[in-house]
Amino acid sequence: MDRNHQSNGKLGKTEKKFLRKQNKARHTLLRHEGIETVSYATQILVVANGGLGNGVSRNQLLPELEKLGQVDALLMPPNKPYSFVTYKTIEESKKAYVTLNGQKIVDDLGQKIILYLNFVEKAQWKELGLQALPPGLKVVEEIISSEDEKLLLESVNWTEDTDNPNFQKSLKHRRVKHFGYEFHYENNNVHKDKPLPGGLPDICDSMLEKWLKEGFIRHKPDQLTVNQYEPGHGIPAHIDTHSAFEDEIISLSLGSEIVMDFKHPDGVTVPVMLPRRSLLVMTGESRYLWTHGITPRKFDTVQASKGHKSGIITGDVGDLTLSKRGIRTSFTFRKVRQTPCDCSYPLVCDSQMKEPPPSFPESDKEALQLEQKYVHQVYEEIAGHFSSTRHTPWPHIVEFLKALPSGSLVADVGCGNGKYLGINKELYMVGCDRSQNLVDICRERQFQAFVCDALAVPVRSGSCDACISIAVIHHFATAERRMAALQELARLLRPGGKALIYVWAMEQEYKKEKSKYLRENRTSQGRQEINSDPSAEEQFVEPVPDTGHQDSACSVPSINDFQKGRSNSKEVANCKLPIHTNRTSFHSQDLLVPWHLKGNASKEKPTEPFGPAGTHDPSPVFHRYYHVFCEGELEAACQTLNNVSILQSYYDQGNWCVILQKV
Amino acid sequence: MKLLTHNLLSSHVRGVGPRGFPLRLEATEVRVIPVEFNPDFVARMIPKVEWAALLEAADHLRLAEVPKGPTQGYEQDETFLRKMHHVLLEVEVVEGTLQCPESGRVFPITRGIPNMLLNEEETQT
Repeated sequence: MDRNHQSNGKLGKTEKKFLRKQNKARHTLLRHEGIETVSYATQILVVANGGLGNGVSRNQLLPELEKLGQVDALLMPPNKPYSFVTYKTIEESKKAYVTLNGQKIVDDLGQKIILYLNFVEKAQWKELGLQALPPGLKVVEEIISSEDEKLLLESVNWTEDTDNPNFQKSLKHRRVKHFGYEFHYENNNVHKDKPLPGGLPDICDSMLEKWLKEGFIRHKPDQLTVNQYEPGHGIPAHIDTHSAFEDEIISLSLGSEIVMDFKHPDGVTVPVMLPRRSLLVMTGESRYLWTHGITPRKFDTVQASKGHKSGIITGDVGDLTLSKRGIRTSFTFRKVRQTPCDCSYPLVCDSQMKEPPPSFPESDKEALQLEQKYVHQVYEEIAGHFSSTRHTPWPHIVEFLKALPSGSLVADVGCGNGKYLGINKELYMVGCDRSQNLVDICRERQFQAFVCDALAVPVRSGSCDACISIAVIHHFATAERRMAALQELARLLRPGGKALIYVWAMEQEYKKEKSKYLRENRTSQGRQEINSDPSAEEQFVEPVPDTGHQDSACSVPSINDFQKGRSNSKEVANCKLPIHTNRTSFHSQDLLVPWHLKGNASKEKPTEPFGPAGTHDPSPVFHRYYHVFCEGELEAACQTLNNVSILQSYYDQGNWCVILQKV
Repeated sequence: MKLLTHNLLSSHVRGVGPRGFPLRLEATEVRVIPVEFNPDFVARMIPKVEWAALLEAADHLRLAEVPKGPTQGYEQDETFLRKMHHVLLEVEVVEGTLQCPESGRVFPITRGIPNMLLNEEETQT
């Protein structure tokens, strides 16, 4: 594929990835659709991902195909994610094969799709006949009466509890409410040792007892999640976390019917109609292996003849019709697991596939590995999204930069997306960061930047009039490494030069004022983001329960400790690093902070019906390592440097800050 | 990477110290990107420039008209300042390499970005 070849070595990977996907598409076609592809050129091509079944219409596809030659026929089987094109000559079909493979096309929802083409002898596919429901799945119709449906819907108060923030979360798509145990979207698990008061609503209790007696369900659930889907809402394909919930997961559909898609890892998709007042019961394979999801759209394709009955929506062309969605509320009941999952599907099981959780590092080597995994790799993955949340420069930092004399040479160590590199045009600023992807963004903005490690900055000693290092040093996993980072900054300065350092503070509430990170804040658009750390000024927080004052897990180390190179956190050696809940106070100095990857990064990825069958989590979560600083800790560390003096030391929006001057 | 940036860069390979400066510059792609001339700014840079390193780098890029050193009263010498402005701020190395003069280690410059990351062995004491 000449198009794909570039001088940059990275594209070799893209080619390999593409070939893998093309092969997978070929494999899936053969296994599930009875389409035999051949390795030699013929006049007929099967276009995987270019079908009516995945939202590609004739007027989108045909023009693209006609560009490559004379199209004798284009067969688009309804509800199939593929189509067949017959070219007049083999030369033309070869041309199409080479040119269109891997080509992006836009579907009717405006999403990008990648086409994969393969030669076939005939434009033929196996009629699926009766598709089977995923094993372990059943739908019980009319399990409750209309009166009960009304009562249940009325029992949900979406507008109450504004002062009790645990009970109401508003996600981008659907509205959610939890009972029994709160479900955490940070790690897609429940807080097992913190049940919510009140348990399940009484009205549900009697209903569940009835179902148990009548044999519709086998176990009594202790957790309930109520979801409200308005037309256009959906939920990405996922498997309910194995370690969180037992086998049987049941979901009651109220208010409106909906089509739920079940996907097998092989790529087979089974659309299942869930009528109003029906109970969906997922056990076994359907609970542990298949993903389930609801496509965000306002209409579903349904079987006209079956009316509102449950079952699979098959490809019987003459029988299909569109059904407008209404507001659907689901009551999903689950039983929380108290032991690790031991299912027969280890490859998709988080209990059985668990990587050992990271622990507090005990050597420089361990620290390096921890930083590699939980800092460097993460920033490379999240760079785009991260950069989009880092746009407003902080006033005190701007002040510092603007006060520097014109013509100063300034280094920004850990410059990230270059937020501060263009603040003062009178300065010559050079940024450096450990993340190639973040430095790329600096470059796009025409800044001078290079990639390096903050512990070994390749700049000659005493050459900088000033340095800044904002939200960087807290990513180093030992006190020695944090010291070394400070030493590097001091080394870069010329005598009289100044450095400004910001690190995340343990104390997120200072002098009775909560930092922006903790404070409740809403935009007029009601946009709420779940993730962030201090520099995410524009992130508006969800209301957070007041967890009271934080533990004083830190004692300011004496200067002796630093000089002898001893870590002040040695008491926590051998401890697993806790995972922090965003927007709450810190309970440990060394921890992992989640980042939910959203927006730009994943929007660019085209949807691929022949691609992998969805992830477990509605949005990928990355964990970043931090050592948050106690009051006085940064100062004490700076005091051990014998070539600088501390000009200023202050607290700024959840950060401890120091201005140093080289003597 | 501008030449003023190159002037700051030094090899940080273990044990090399000040002998790691200047990095030997080779370029396969260079661009000239106009920058607004600010004489005051350029004048302030002059005392900070390591001249020998600048001349060596400019030579490797085959730049013409590079002043050999600050002239007397350079602060008012517009011709001088404009030449320096061009050399220091308008010449961008897009693709090339930087080599440590002491250890021989080569650092790539890709899309204008030098990658100065060392691997584990090179950073160990």
